[in-house]
Amino acid sequence: MNAIIRIAMKDLRLLARDRADAFFTFVFPLLIALFFGYVFGGGDGERSAMPVAVVNEDGGAASKWFVEQLSKAGGIEAKPAETREAGERLVRKGDAAACVIVPKDFEDSTKKVFSGGGMQLEAIIDPKRSAEAGLLEGRLNELGFRQLARTFTDSSMMNSFLDSAREDVSKSTGLSPLQKGIFGTFFDSVSSLTREVTSKSAPGETMNGAVGESGGGFRPVTVTMHELRMDPNSPNNSFAVSFPQGVVWGLMGCVMAFGVSLVQERRRGTLLRLCVAPITRNQILLGKAAACFASCVIVQVILLVVARLMGVRIGHPSIMASAVLVSSVGFTGVMMLLAGLSRSEGAAQGFGRALLLVLALIGGGSIPLFFMPRLMQQISSVSPFKWATISIENGLWRADGWDAMLLPGGVLLGIGVIGFLVGWAAMRRWSPT
Amino acid sequence: MIRLEGLTKRFGEREAVCSLSLEIARGEVFGLLGPNGAGKTTTISMMIGTLPPTSGDVHIDGKSLVDDPSLRRRVGVAPQALALYEDLTARENLAFFGGLYGLGGRELNAAVDGALEMVGLRDRAGDRSETFSGGMQRRLNLAAALVHGPDVLLLDEPTAGVDPQSRNSIIELVRSLKARGTTIVYTTHYMEEAQKLCDRVGVMDRGSMLALGTIHELLKDHGGDSVVVYHDEHGEQKIVTRDPAAEVARLIERGVRSGLRIDRPDLESVFLNLTGRALRDGGAE
Repeated sequence: MNAIIRIAMKDLRLLARDRADAFFTFVFPLLIALFFGYVFGGGDGERSAMPVAVVNEDGGAASKWFVEQLSKAGGIEAKPAETREAGERLVRKGDAAACVIVPKDFEDSTKKVFSGGGMQLEAIIDPKRSAEAGLLEGRLNELGFRQLARTFTDSSMMNSFLDSAREDVSKSTGLSPLQKGIFGTFFDSVSSLTREVTSKSAPGETMNGAVGESGGGFRPVTVTMHELRMDPNSPNNSFAVSFPQGVVWGLMGCVMAFGVSLVQERRRGTLLRLCVAPITRNQILLGKAAACFASCVIVQVILLVVARLMGVRIGHPSIMASAVLVSSVGFTGVMMLLAGLSRSEGAAQGFGRALLLVLALIGGGSIPLFFMPRLMQQISSVSPFKWATISIENGLWRADGWDAMLLPGGVLLGIGVIGFLVGWAAMRRWSPT
Repeated sequence: MIRLEGLTKRFGEREAVCSLSLEIARGEVFGLLGPNGAGKTTTISMMIGTLPPTSGDVHIDGKSLVDDPSLRRRVGVAPQALALYEDLTARENLAFFGGLYGLGGRELNAAVDGALEMVGLRDRAGDRSETFSGGMQRRLNLAAALVHGPDVLLLDEPTAGVDPQSRNSIIELVRSLKARGTTIVYTTHYMEEAQKLCDRVGVMDRGSMLALGTIHELLKDHGGDSVVVYHDEHGEQKIVTRDPAAEVARLIERGVRSGLRIDRPDLESVFLNLTGRALRDGGAE
């Protein structure tokens, strides 16, 4: 055991000393994970229209107008949804950044603009797209101002609102008769002003620009924001998608670094020194495998620690621990296979890297598995990286429990054992000289 | 100490080593001479257990190396190719290899320091071996074979391609190891090295041991005659003789002094006489 540990420690030290290997094993996967995390999560930069699910629970004229205006608003792509649940589903699937709900009493709330109320809206937002939610709130307020301007240019609507306001004032017990009189005079003045404006306006002309610009701190729309109830079966933020991708590249780095190092040992003659020492071939190979296994675990732990710092929730720590272990076993087997079947350093570097690159790409290294077309998802089953990705996703956000670990875990363990045995058999035939 | 018994290695139809038998005494420096392809490295590989013999056996103090791999603990090997980790420092290299032989803690540190001291690399202990010159890497390669204190040392072309200073340093080191009682098997195709260092020499070619004995015995038996060279009015003259001293005396009596010298046989001429070709001809092993 001592010899195995010594060989493993020596290999880890060599990995740390080789800047290129260390970069591709530990840093590159991190960069990939962060890059794709920002790409999926939406960093700053040019955006296309923000998809927003819209649920109209009110159905009145005012709400229909509001929804219509929301659809026409620049920068927003309104996606009608029948129910609140349907809208929420669109957000959860990532098809919409938020869901705007026009509630049942919207029509009534528009009449409360002059009596301390205001238009009431609700929005369900995806917490990982909070920047877009802020933008949405601004656009909703802008539409509120337009609604207000529309009220001023429509005397019947205004009279209806003023009647409602007069009724509220007259019923109010907190106002003195003098105050009620002042409000009455004000409402009469507004009513005559509205009539005058309407008579001078061309048909269809509104005052929205002027009202919008003079709005100051007045907010005609109150948007009640609700965060999307987290579905444990979906990633809690974009980094929860990109970090399993980072794991793919980290595992590839480990396989390449140690696969090539075994071939190098033979070419550089150090394998001869290992073979003449009073240790067995099995100890040498186990030492190599232990170093690769440790390196696979280390790179995954580093990625997960950074993922946590980026707000990724590890939903199932025990499943995650087993995912890290089975992935490490699987890719240690891949490393042994690569080293055993590569006759030269060039073969390991060239053929090995090319093959692994293709497997990594189809296994979720560039595009998350659940984004892939169904056929591609089926093809990707040949890639051990796919099973590692699924395992890690099981630990992060897939809430399918231990049952869901059986297949990817079994595949990875199988790859690990078969790869180790085939590689071991091939390497036992190696001549150290 | 070491006994090779009918050691044979075949690669398909080709017989790389043919029924080699010899005994090497404790504290002896035994030279294995031969051109590239003679079978030296194959013999060494069988002696260190990395290449199983087709037939025959290697014994150390009467114990079979094939049956008892733990005997490897007593053997140190400096392979012909540099077998070092270039990204590790000299100290880390030696500590790693020493650790494989069961050394640890203070014992390992002392052994590493001792080996570095012996090869004159103590002051470069903390430098990565990739920064060393070829000669220094050769010496470190040798130190890696010594670090666990073996009593049998197999040195395969330890001075191949090194500068004269490092070569002298390695030769001095081998002498000091011999003085400590280490049994050394030394392969080389440098005759002068073998003549300086070896108590006995075996001349190999095409997998067979052509001759075996002390330098004196080999020269006497296979070196051929000496050549006395001088100049007269007809130019350079040569006299082939078994007794060059008597021939020189006779020439001096005749008043011949110009260009007078004796060309004595050396291991090169031994090899030439045994094989009919020069030692450094030969293909790759």
